[in-house]
Amino acid sequence: MKKIILIGSPNSGKSLLFNRLTGLHQRVANYPGITVDVASGALAALPEVVLVDFPGTYSLHAISGEEQVAVNYFSEALDDPDVVQVLCLIDVTRLEKSLYFTLQVIRECERHGKHAVVIANMMDVLEKHKISMDLEGLAAEVQAPVVPVSARSGKGLDAVLEQIKYGIASGKGPASCGIVDVPDAILRGTAHKLAHKYGPKGDLLIKSQARLDSFFLHTAFGGIVFFGIMYLMFQSIFTWAAPVMDAIESLVAWAASIVVPLVPTQIAKDFLQDAIFGGVGAFLVFVPQIFVLTFVIGILEDSGYMARAALICHKPLRMFGLTGKSFIPMLSGVACAIPAIYAARSIDSPKKRLLTYIAIPLMPCSARLPVYTLLIAAFIPATTIFGGLVGLQGVAMFGVYFFGMMCGLIATSVLSRVRAEQYEDLPFVLEMPPYRLPAWQPLIRNSWNRSKHFVTKAGVIILTVTIVIWVFGYFPTMGQDLGASWLGQFGKLVEPVFAPLGLDWRYGVAIMTSFLAREVFVGTLGTMFGIENSDDNVLPLAEQIQASGMSVASGVALLVFFAIALMCVSTMAILGKESRSKTLALKLFLVYGLSAYVMAILAYNLVGFF
Amino acid sequence: MSSSLWSLTAGTQGQIQDFDPELADNYRVRLMELGFHPGEVVTCLQTPAFGSPKVFRVANSIFSLDDEVASHILITPVGSA
Repeated sequence: MKKIILIGSPNSGKSLLFNRLTGLHQRVANYPGITVDVASGALAALPEVVLVDFPGTYSLHAISGEEQVAVNYFSEALDDPDVVQVLCLIDVTRLEKSLYFTLQVIRECERHGKHAVVIANMMDVLEKHKISMDLEGLAAEVQAPVVPVSARSGKGLDAVLEQIKYGIASGKGPASCGIVDVPDAILRGTAHKLAHKYGPKGDLLIKSQARLDSFFLHTAFGGIVFFGIMYLMFQSIFTWAAPVMDAIESLVAWAASIVVPLVPTQIAKDFLQDAIFGGVGAFLVFVPQIFVLTFVIGILEDSGYMARAALICHKPLRMFGLTGKSFIPMLSGVACAIPAIYAARSIDSPKKRLLTYIAIPLMPCSARLPVYTLLIAAFIPATTIFGGLVGLQGVAMFGVYFFGMMCGLIATSVLSRVRAEQYEDLPFVLEMPPYRLPAWQPLIRNSWNRSKHFVTKAGVIILTVTIVIWVFGYFPTMGQDLGASWLGQFGKLVEPVFAPLGLDWRYGVAIMTSFLAREVFVGTLGTMFGIENSDDNVLPLAEQIQASGMSVASGVALLVFFAIALMCVSTMAILGKESRSKTLALKLFLVYGLSAYVMAILAYNLVGFF
Repeated sequence: MSSSLWSLTAGTQGQIQDFDPELADNYRVRLMELGFHPGEVVTCLQTPAFGSPKVFRVANSIFSLDDEVASHILITPVGSA
């Protein structure tokens, strides 16, 4: 099968062009280095041809181990006889940055006899500013076709396809442009000269970008705006998702009232009521929050604010041994640790990347959200202060999230000082992407996919665990006495472990099952309370927790425990793979588990004391 | 009189003279790849809060550099943008 390589500098719109040409939905965002893996897909118009999207890089002269991997991979691809063409994407609004890399790519293509095509992206921006560029002159200088496109609007894609067809038909690169033996230093000078000669004159996006930056990065207000945006994000999780959560809760209760009476035997009735509607239903209620969280993070990424946030956070994060570039993976970790671990690849410094891996499991991920929401709903009143502007539950959520993040920062701060010299470090240089209006459709699609993934991934585990919990909790007493069931007998065996937190055996069992995935905690509790209550209605779980007699001190201890413990099998697997360390995930599991337990005991006694 | 890029304040410009020999070769090369060539005029656009990296414009691109890098780029101030 014929292959076409797509390559370009970071944030030049490669993934967007890839999606346009293949019809796929590769994740795109307005932040340099968002593509961290090689993606491939058949061209929509030519299904027999595969397009391979490479991570963005500024140069074929690698300055870190990770960049070297990408560069080596590109060299290997050039030796592949199936690769017939290389599409090199340039951002015409920032030609200087793109041209040196382009010349390097053209030189390598010439060395390997491959056909190179330069794709001049962001032409829509030039048109908007009524600026023209001599692309033919540039094509003559670099001895490669230059095709103007706008990946955002899709304009110019036909011409790209024509070039691809030509490349496949001819199978060989164009006449030599005579740079086979030209060293990098000379190419840099040539790129500099060509950028000045052919680059767009004028400010383009710079003026509007500078105006917005003078607000978002203002010496005095920048920090306040940053905290304001973060705070709004957490409030939105509650306020935007609340009506849908209520609707799902009512829907589950309504479905239970319709379906359960239709089932003939009592055991089947109990099973449906407790395990399916009580257990899995309790978990489904939290899906709207996952959607909102992913959506808001997506807006921040697409708008270009994320890079500004990385910049504002750099100095404070540096005090904790991290870099501003750690902010994006850490904030992604608020949605899910798994994409966060992948996102950490964009951190060029190996030392800071390792420290970021250590911090990510302590970021308050969305799997913790159901647990936090449940406990906050059970113990914090849903009242507002300051004339309805600030919700107490939102403040509590902000507090728990802040606590988790601080734990992560303290861990990296200590480790960065203890093991300072063992890893390669690189200083901070970050390209500032222009501000853009988010592309809503891909954003909604991404949030929807994340919610779906969350349900399907966690759903299977939750369904399995709730069935097992129900069976062990129902027999041999036939649901008459949860305490005397097999589950009750096991729970009482482990109860002494959880007694220092003021928790009875039911919560102990729920914690133990949630070591598979944190969300299981909600399903397990829902199932157990379902068996216990003979009531035919599915009561909101928070009300059942209040009725179970759990103290506020135990509630706080549970929050602390869940904030610290690493309870996710998938995170541990991905962490092991990405860090290329077999022991890192295991060490973190043990250290965070033990710290969570000790800190929870402290919290229980402290709150109890007051 | 030369000083470092880090000494620029928002709205001022400097012409790059050279790189401090203390800056690793890899990084000197990368900076030039990004457009920070000797002779190029760089404008400081922002100096954000908390001593964060400063924002610089070079050619038509905007980069933020922290003091660990910017203090090794030697410039001659050329006044306001």
